[in-house]
Amino acid sequence: MSTRRESKLRTFAAKVLGLVRGHRHDGEFEAEIQEHLQMLAEKFVAQGMSRAEAAAAARRQFGNVTLLQEDHRELQTLVWFGALWEDMRFAFRTLRKSPGFAAVAVLTLALGIGANTAVFSVVHGVLLRPLAYQKPNQLYLLQVVWSQMTKFYPMIPANYAGYQIWRKQCHSFEDIAIAEGTSADLTGSGEPVEIHGVRGAANLFTLLGTSPALGRDFFPTEDESGQGRVVILTNKFWRGYFHADSTVLGRAITLDGVPFTIVGVLPASFHFPAQLGQLTSFGRQIDFFEPLNGPRDEDQDLIGEFDFAALGRLRTGVSPGQALAELNVIQAQIAREAAKMDTGVDLKAAIIPLESEVVGAARRGLILLLAAVGVVLLIVCVNLANMMLSRIPGRMREAAIRTALGATRWQLFRRMLTESLLLGVLGGALGVWLGSLGVVWLVQIAPPGLPRLDEVHMDSRVLWFAVLLSLLTSILSGILPAWRASKGDVQGALKTGGAGAGESQGSRRLREALIGIEVGMSTALLVIAGLLTSSLFHLLRVNPGFATERVLTVDVDLPPQSYSEPSVRLHFYNALLDRLRGLPGVRAAGWVNRLPLEGEGNVTGLDVPPGGPAHVPANFRAASPDYFSAVGIRLLHGRIFSESDRGRKVVLVSESAAQRFWPGQNPIGRTCLTFWGGKEEDEVIGVVDDVRTVKLDAAPVMMVYVPDWFGGRGFRVPQSAGIAVRTDGDERSVGASVREAVHAEDSEVPIVAMRSTSEMVSESVAPRRFQMLMAVLFAGSALLLASLGIYGVIAYSVEQRRRELGIRSALGAQVSNLHRMILRQGMTPVAAGLVAGLGGSLVIGRLIGSLLFGVKAADPVTMSTVALLVTLVAVLACFIPSRRASRVDPMVALRYE
Amino acid sequence: MDTKKSEVLQGTLDLMILKTLQALGPLHGFGIARRIEQVSRDVLQLNEGTVYTSLLRLQQQGWIASEWGTSENNRKAKFYSITKRGQRQLQVEAENWERISDVIGRVLKLEAEK
Repeated sequence: MSTRRESKLRTFAAKVLGLVRGHRHDGEFEAEIQEHLQMLAEKFVAQGMSRAEAAAAARRQFGNVTLLQEDHRELQTLVWFGALWEDMRFAFRTLRKSPGFAAVAVLTLALGIGANTAVFSVVHGVLLRPLAYQKPNQLYLLQVVWSQMTKFYPMIPANYAGYQIWRKQCHSFEDIAIAEGTSADLTGSGEPVEIHGVRGAANLFTLLGTSPALGRDFFPTEDESGQGRVVILTNKFWRGYFHADSTVLGRAITLDGVPFTIVGVLPASFHFPAQLGQLTSFGRQIDFFEPLNGPRDEDQDLIGEFDFAALGRLRTGVSPGQALAELNVIQAQIAREAAKMDTGVDLKAAIIPLESEVVGAARRGLILLLAAVGVVLLIVCVNLANMMLSRIPGRMREAAIRTALGATRWQLFRRMLTESLLLGVLGGALGVWLGSLGVVWLVQIAPPGLPRLDEVHMDSRVLWFAVLLSLLTSILSGILPAWRASKGDVQGALKTGGAGAGESQGSRRLREALIGIEVGMSTALLVIAGLLTSSLFHLLRVNPGFATERVLTVDVDLPPQSYSEPSVRLHFYNALLDRLRGLPGVRAAGWVNRLPLEGEGNVTGLDVPPGGPAHVPANFRAASPDYFSAVGIRLLHGRIFSESDRGRKVVLVSESAAQRFWPGQNPIGRTCLTFWGGKEEDEVIGVVDDVRTVKLDAAPVMMVYVPDWFGGRGFRVPQSAGIAVRTDGDERSVGASVREAVHAEDSEVPIVAMRSTSEMVSESVAPRRFQMLMAVLFAGSALLLASLGIYGVIAYSVEQRRRELGIRSALGAQVSNLHRMILRQGMTPVAAGLVAGLGGSLVIGRLIGSLLFGVKAADPVTMSTVALLVTLVAVLACFIPSRRASRVDPMVALRYE
Repeated sequence: MDTKKSEVLQGTLDLMILKTLQALGPLHGFGIARRIEQVSRDVLQLNEGTVYTSLLRLQQQGWIASEWGTSENNRKAKFYSITKRGQRQLQVEAENWERISDVIGRVLKLEAEK
């Protein structure tokens, strides 16, 4: 057995070789034959024949030379390759003869394949490609579960003290590292810039399995206090700011007024997640990494400052369950220890695979996108199949003649399939090019929240995907027409002369079924797009709790070296606000440590009543008294704190906090115990409206607003603040003068960002807008393709039935009768498809329920709008050819053939 | 096209060529044809061209090798020789052949007795 397979393989190899050098061998063979003939002739001459006789006898004995040469060539080359080439050339000639069909086919295929390739690149980069870390499936995000807080935050980040204990005692993990986001003012050359970084444990890179491309990794000692004045730069920042200068190693840069030594540059392929867990974000662009450099003051507490993302590498052979169990034992010890100093805490841990943490939220939206674009490609296939089917009757005669001349059914089938293969190859090539443009465009318009977006590009796997897709589309769209074409009725076609032969009943049914499928898929896509659009509109109508008109916000960041004193910071803010209020067109101005929609932060405990049983976490915000009127947060009860309250322990609470703590009661005058920086008993003097803190579709969080004198020591005057400016007219008109005012106050203070609140709202809905835009785009293309399909079928059928229509109108059929007849024929499959599509959208709508906001999957408005739209487009697509049919002059039609 | 007949013939021809090359060492096509003619003593009518088809097939299987050389009357000719793999194949085929011809011979004899 094995020898047979082996010898087949050998023959094949020899044939492939023969394909390459076939012609040279032909010459050699020719010479060999001639030599043989000559020697044979000489032998005969020696036996006494004449020269002429001998030559003839030699030829006789040798046999047919031409036949031998053919056999020889066949043995040496791959016959089917030649046949395929022949089919390809034929297909090319056929397509060239109908350039209109070829152009439409190649173009729709290219668009379909291009769109799929582009979307697949994004999906591949974001979801499918493993994280660029060593053995990423061993990496886990370790979080703390604080049972008193789980109602509000199921999981919170790790803290410094806990991390130290975990690392020492938890053996399920090879290693554990922590990291938190940080930022610093980089000064020294020109204007100060704010750069973003990660303060992480020195073993962070080892844990992830990477090391700097230039220079060295952090030393373990650099995690200790006073040792860590070193930074490692990200490749992007190094290229952008230092122009990829390799002499930066060992150089000092000034961050927040303190010199740091650059010890390394990371490889370009290294990416750190922008967000790890609900409460730890690192930002889209990370410029530098610094080691822990010892605990800060607030890190000392055993249960203080939970704001580090902890990453662990699971030891081989240890299951996640075992690791969690071990962590929970340690957590219980920490809780017991903590209970000695504070009220009872109940600590547990949670571990989440890093991979699902990084891409988790984006998965559903992207898969929806991929499915949508896949459906568009399916519609392209169906459309192409339909177009090819419609070309069959016209080519029946050709097929019949071929069959009569001895072509087998398989040969006819192959020939037709080759045609769609050629279309697929051309469409695929063009599609890859379009796809490469599409990727760039997608990355540009993709929402900033999409993880790993900077890792998206076309690679070999995406290209293979495109190749596979092209082949699949050609086979999918070609197999049905090829099958139909190869089973044609030869005699009938020859008798009727081919071109005039009407389309067979079966073929027409098939084409109508395809129309139904197209319409069904388009309908489902349109409903999904409609639901997403309606969700976005509902979302934009949500009251964010602040004014979205005529408010400009400015993020400033005070350099720590010159603004280390709270009184200096307060003086700066007060002077700046005064300056801003004096500007023409400015009605009010105020500062806050964190603006709305900028996420949660300063989450800390609150006891109501003071000394009550449990901490409840709330977001704390420090604000100036006029912040509320400037940003447009309404006062619901009581009053806002003012300068006359200076020194008094007063706070404002948001409405949801008031309802949580004092349900059905008047919160004004109540007291609560706050733990922001230190224990303090405060009096609630006012209730303000809830604001959307994280995003528009997340319920507002409980909020406590405190004045700058909160805590008594001026700690709450923030180093970086958001300044809200309320204007009389268009907020953008004051932008330049606001910028000037900040610079006039202190030219060393960088403006980090300047946006209007409406821009902030728009940024926060960017992921939804992206999804909606894509869905609408794909659904629109689907509808367009489907209408082209309907038009094609009807136009073709009208063309085929010209004579019949002529006879009908000669026999007295009214124009309206003809219209109705054609419309009925066209709309039957459309109606069926519409019903199926609406049904399908119900199922899909339920699957994507989490992407919807304010509408249900079975939204009657959306569904009826889509049904109306599809019907309208379909009627139009039928009407154009139908009008042409009704204008048929009976005389012309009858004489037509 | 009587493919079946020619294939049987070709298979036999392959065997004959392999055996010839084993027995006589490197030969050109003409020499092979002469040798088979000589041995078959005009029993087998052979189109000599088919020798070349056979040679090509044997070469593709790697059972024989070829080399350009000079013939006895000083002409350029391609010389074929049996390879190690060819030797092995020849042994297998020869045994096969003997077994089959033995069986066929016995079957034919049986027929004759009846």
